[in-house]
Amino acid sequence: MSGPKLNLRVRSIEPLSPLLKRFELEMADGGEVPPFGPGAHLRFNLQGDHQRWKNAYSLVTPPTERRRYAVIVRRVEHSRGGSAFMHETVKPGQILEASVPANLFPVSQIARKHLLISGGIGITPFLSYLAAFKSKAAGYELHHFCRAKEAEIFGHLLRDHESSRIHIHAGTEFNLSSVLSSQPLGTHLYTCGPEGLMDLVLDTARTHGWPASKLHSESFGSAHMGGAPFIAILKRSGAEIAVREDQTLLEAIEEAGFEPTNLCRGGACGECLTRVLEGEPEHRDHYLDEGERASNCSIMICVSRAKTNRIVLDL
Amino acid sequence: MLVSGIVSRPKYEPFALDPSGRSHLIVADHPAPPGDFGPTPASNAPIEIWCVCTNPRTTAEASQNGRAVSRSFRSTAHLLDQLDKRLARELVGLRIYAVGIESFVWDVARLARKFGMEKGEYRLTHKGSERRRVYCIHCRAYTEDVTTNIVSCSGCGASLLVRDHYSRRLAAFMGVQVDAEVPGDVPAIEEAFP
Amino acid sequence: MTLAFKPAETFRKDFTYRNSEAGILRFPFPFAEDTYMYSVNIEPHLPGGPSPAYDHAFDVDEHYVAECKERAIVLAEDPNRCKVLPHMTEAQWDTLELIMESFAKDYPEHFSLQKNGTRWSWENRPLGLKDSFTFGDLSSLPYEPFEYITRQAQGDFTLQDQRDNNLFVDGGMVTTQADWSLEFDIGMTFHEWHGPVPLAHQLGVFDRALKFLLRLQYGQPVRRLNWTMTINPRLDTSPENYPVWGPDRNTVTPENVAQKVHLRVELQTLFRLPRSNAILFGIRCYLASVAELARVEKWRKRLHRVLRDLPPELEDYKGLTRYRKLVVDYLAPFDDGAPLSRGPQPDQTIL
Repeated sequence: MSGPKLNLRVRSIEPLSPLLKRFELEMADGGEVPPFGPGAHLRFNLQGDHQRWKNAYSLVTPPTERRRYAVIVRRVEHSRGGSAFMHETVKPGQILEASVPANLFPVSQIARKHLLISGGIGITPFLSYLAAFKSKAAGYELHHFCRAKEAEIFGHLLRDHESSRIHIHAGTEFNLSSVLSSQPLGTHLYTCGPEGLMDLVLDTARTHGWPASKLHSESFGSAHMGGAPFIAILKRSGAEIAVREDQTLLEAIEEAGFEPTNLCRGGACGECLTRVLEGEPEHRDHYLDEGERASNCSIMICVSRAKTNRIVLDL
Repeated sequence: MLVSGIVSRPKYEPFALDPSGRSHLIVADHPAPPGDFGPTPASNAPIEIWCVCTNPRTTAEASQNGRAVSRSFRSTAHLLDQLDKRLARELVGLRIYAVGIESFVWDVARLARKFGMEKGEYRLTHKGSERRRVYCIHCRAYTEDVTTNIVSCSGCGASLLVRDHYSRRLAAFMGVQVDAEVPGDVPAIEEAFP
Repeated sequence: MTLAFKPAETFRKDFTYRNSEAGILRFPFPFAEDTYMYSVNIEPHLPGGPSPAYDHAFDVDEHYVAECKERAIVLAEDPNRCKVLPHMTEAQWDTLELIMESFAKDYPEHFSLQKNGTRWSWENRPLGLKDSFTFGDLSSLPYEPFEYITRQAQGDFTLQDQRDNNLFVDGGMVTTQADWSLEFDIGMTFHEWHGPVPLAHQLGVFDRALKFLLRLQYGQPVRRLNWTMTINPRLDTSPENYPVWGPDRNTVTPENVAQKVHLRVELQTLFRLPRSNAILFGIRCYLASVAELARVEKWRKRLHRVLRDLPPELEDYKGLTRYRKLVVDYLAPFDDGAPLSRGPQPDQTIL
């Protein structure tokens, strides 16, 4: 699915730490940026000299801000190159192409309170949440986990919000169970950050009787890392595509000139579901259920790879 | 208009405690709610039973009843009023189980939703009469305890056909004037919801 | 083409509503084939297609002023026809922005929108309205934002909140509906709301449509058509007023069938709203009498075939039982049985 595109000019780049940079962007034509809601992201089409990347970054500006967008990019050590490109190649004044904002991590409109738990760069979607809560006077509580040396940076990012509701945990003792067992009825829980943190938060919440409808999570980064190379064969065209270790199956298919339907590029939305005709997928998505995974008939090509040397897809 | 087999007609679940709940509140519109809690839920999850016992000497005082704490109420209105106050200070992890006639269980569901509870946090079990609460789509009056397929509206007096279309928000079935196209053309009235 | 509005048209009592010849030719005729059955007939809502009615996000036609007046009459009688649950405020502003921006861009001769940060000025020349307000400030408009803007648009609108992998109809402006009640249905899930529709549930139509809509993206609206029939050009065929319009169904005779019976087409559009993540559902009603449609050769033949072969469950659900045969008998002499081109387009440019 290819929606409307935006041409965004990089207005400024602010280094927040050796690994974090904040990019401010405005419409290249000088107009207003399209509106978005808390939790929305932009998907950039980054064009390097020999490679292109499609990286999604959460918008961190208040949703009411229409003059510009901002995103924060962490330079990922074993990155596929997109974040390194953002950090090293992109300069102020440069035009970047992005899709209009999409939202796979919206806030609940019926929640009576919002409980946010983030780790590291997973704070980014919550920056737009907090701005929205502030203007609506909604009840919330934020717990953020980070390394001790980054506590000051995150404290700075959160400086505009009520300190009594914001808790930064940098290696200090924290009782997750007591937080999750003492929330008023109607509280919704959102978590974003490393897989390990999110799994712990969601598992603990379930233990304390939280229903699925009140649990929300968004994963960034680790799920779509590379792996062993393999060959993908697109049955309909007969194309034979070598998937390198540093790219996703979807990226390899796109590099070969195909445009399969896709949206979140994070294994969540279900848009890129593809039938597997031969070979065995290595599932890395959050979309297929256990039965679908075991059947090996379907694959989410944005994040999953192949266990076999060769996989044949109905594309 | 006279279509049957409508899927908005609620389906109900048999009573059983949800093992994922951290505390359980069973509310019933009759004096003898279910005592069999099924497979024992997490051992320390408290269980409370509220029921209606139409007796003017009843107070809402709590008593221990095996594993559960019991309270009796003088009327469903009494119970629902207390439930409203109770839910205002409850925590995530609570499960509510409403057992009774349709209008009662949906009144409970409405209160639960008011406090942000969603599907999965409340469970409804239909027990007792099939009689319906009917909402007149023309004058907005409710007619209670309807047992026939066609009923005279308590508000405007029109002959209402009781459709299977159900509003969980209003906790009522839709009543539509049956002789709207041909005035006076009212089919035979039959017992439909004993 | 400049629009000539017909502000004096009525949709009740003397029913003076008529389509101009251009209006007939742009009618969004719903039948692409000679038979009809439910399907997930959803397509991207992009400009273009077999009728100019699809050219803009929200179509404004010659009936605009008269339809807005009709809506005001219904609301004066029954204010509950517009209702939005309290958690949908963000979606209300989204709707106001989407409709205002679309109108101002697509019909600059009739509408204009000036923005200075959150200070907005809106002018609606056909209705003679001019208002300045603060975007986001409920107290700065004469109505809540959703009601304010949908009083100035043709067709019904509902707001769907997305949660728990479902869509809930949590608001709406519903005055031109084909026999469903917002007051009764508000708060329902997608499947409950469509509860009374026969056959489609068994076909899995709603399961598939819901899955699709849950993933609807901002900036990529979709559309589909639905249809029924109505006696007289009456927009308000609500359950609330069934005793008012129900008797009309007995007034059809072989002599008046072509003038009385109208094909009622709903152009349904769905937009993901950016701030609230809600979905705006536009249900735009178009009416054309059998006589008007019969002026198009392809349409009179195709309408005859579709109605002749309609499954009985649909005949009942759409309320056609009392007069379908009269329409079929009227159209039969015009149908020579010759094959018709695929698609709904009229295949002629003048009448």
